[in-house]
Amino acid sequence: MTRTTSLLSLCLSADYPDRPNVLRTLALEMYSGEILGLIGQSGSGKSTLALAILRLLHLHKGNQRGEIWFQGRNLMGVSEREMRSVRGRELGLVLQSPLSALNPALRIGTQLEEAWRAHVKGSDDAARKAILETLLSVSLPAERSFLRRYSSQLSVGQAQRVIIAMAILHRPSLLIADEPTSALDTITQSEILRLFAQLSRELRMGILYISHDLLSVAALCHRIAILHAGQILECAPPAQIFGAPQHVYTQKLVAALPRGALLDSDGDKVSSVVASHEVEESVKPSVESSIPDQIPSIVR
Amino acid sequence: MKLLRRTAAAFLIAVFIAALFAGVLVPVPYAKQFRDSPNAMPSRIHLLGTDELGRDLFSRLLYGSRISLLLAPAASLLATIIAALVGGVAGYAGGWLERIALGGTDLAMSLPWLFLLLAARAVLPLNLSPAASLLITFALLGFFGWAASARVICAGARGLRDSDFVLQAKACGCSSRRVLLQQVLPNLRPALFAQFLISIPVFILTEANLGILGLGVSEPLPSWGGLLRGLENWSAVQANPARLAPLLLLLVVVSCFQLVLRQEDFAP
Repeated sequence: MTRTTSLLSLCLSADYPDRPNVLRTLALEMYSGEILGLIGQSGSGKSTLALAILRLLHLHKGNQRGEIWFQGRNLMGVSEREMRSVRGRELGLVLQSPLSALNPALRIGTQLEEAWRAHVKGSDDAARKAILETLLSVSLPAERSFLRRYSSQLSVGQAQRVIIAMAILHRPSLLIADEPTSALDTITQSEILRLFAQLSRELRMGILYISHDLLSVAALCHRIAILHAGQILECAPPAQIFGAPQHVYTQKLVAALPRGALLDSDGDKVSSVVASHEVEESVKPSVESSIPDQIPSIVR
Repeated sequence: MKLLRRTAAAFLIAVFIAALFAGVLVPVPYAKQFRDSPNAMPSRIHLLGTDELGRDLFSRLLYGSRISLLLAPAASLLATIIAALVGGVAGYAGGWLERIALGGTDLAMSLPWLFLLLAARAVLPLNLSPAASLLITFALLGFFGWAASARVICAGARGLRDSDFVLQAKACGCSSRRVLLQQVLPNLRPALFAQFLISIPVFILTEANLGILGLGVSEPLPSWGGLLRGLENWSAVQANPARLAPLLLLLVVVSCFQLVLRQEDFAP
């Protein structure tokens, strides 16, 4: 991973009418192709940050100030029209609950087509080709019959893959995933994590992976940022977060992990394993991961 | 209950078909006056008898049903389209637009619509052609009947505005207009369809009200409202009880509508 090119650099404050200072001059930097894990407990401002980067916070009646430098321009300074051409094309978003993020009244194909037509004026054939290719890349059946289904006819895992397909349809350089696996069971969760690692590798896509679960992102992410009360407390590679957490809050967070999870089968600290982690090999499809006692197998 | 609903639906369909094929079913034109047999009793020639001008009552009933049963849905369609525009845009846009639109619907609902219809009809010339009176009556119904539906649609659109899939669509770069037309509108379809069906019996009854006052569809065109006016002549009704047929048909048709329509069927 080259750390030379900055993809995203921001400094943001955000408020809601009934909740001031949800983000307090939060500063964050991401590099091209990097997977950054953003960890925080509920209410720490994770989802607010995700929406604020897309400048969609007004949909939740929020108000944001500051700067978002993305690929050489400040997104806070561009017009709404220009912002709309960035959303979906250069910045993708995956929401937490896949079934509510899909429109129940529309077929899967129609929704993907809408996402395609938001940025490309072309023939139906071109649209269908792009959609089928993207379905393949998220391991969904690239068939007409699948595109004719409604969201109620999909499993949660399939629905999340459709949402991911929608988000990467235009090959954005940054994908923001807001707790994409917290609504999923453990097996599906590890499959989706693997998919993210694969997409990052194949499409050289930066991923901001937002989660409340430190363990599940440890193996996926190049760096982990700890968010608390609207500020980033610490941002470091997983080895340092687990091995030598600097901030008191991070220390508490690591200490709060289930004891078994921190120990390898040999009794070694997980951190030593994490230190040599490779994203390519990290998230193995492991059926054992559904067994709570063996959570570390995700980390391995 | 299921049987009852099916019977009601079958009856409605039968009445609709009979009204549509009125020209085939009755050999006598609705306006033809049999001068030598006014106020006739039911017979093989005149199934329900004739009125004081000697016009065949069965023929008038069927043609009247055609007008009432075809134009009430048309008025309902007009009202539903206005409701979809006002309610859909207001609920989806929110903010001051929603407040203005809701204020407008409140105002429209608080108006004494019967007097308004009377006033609107009174402004028009008395010697209006029957066809024009017909169109104007139902257009007025449509224009005055949208407010309640608009509120329902507005509430539905407001719920969809905050939904995740609208957020997801916006995050994909879809414009507000496309989100409204492609994402929100398909989800409002069941509610719109329900409002359309619910409004039909309301408009049938409203037309009947206007007809009794002589402000509905004008003679010689028959409509249910106009036919009910014939009941003013009580001695004629006593002499020929078959004259109550329009009232009976109106009651049964409106009841059948209520039986067939069940709110839970329209849940999305």
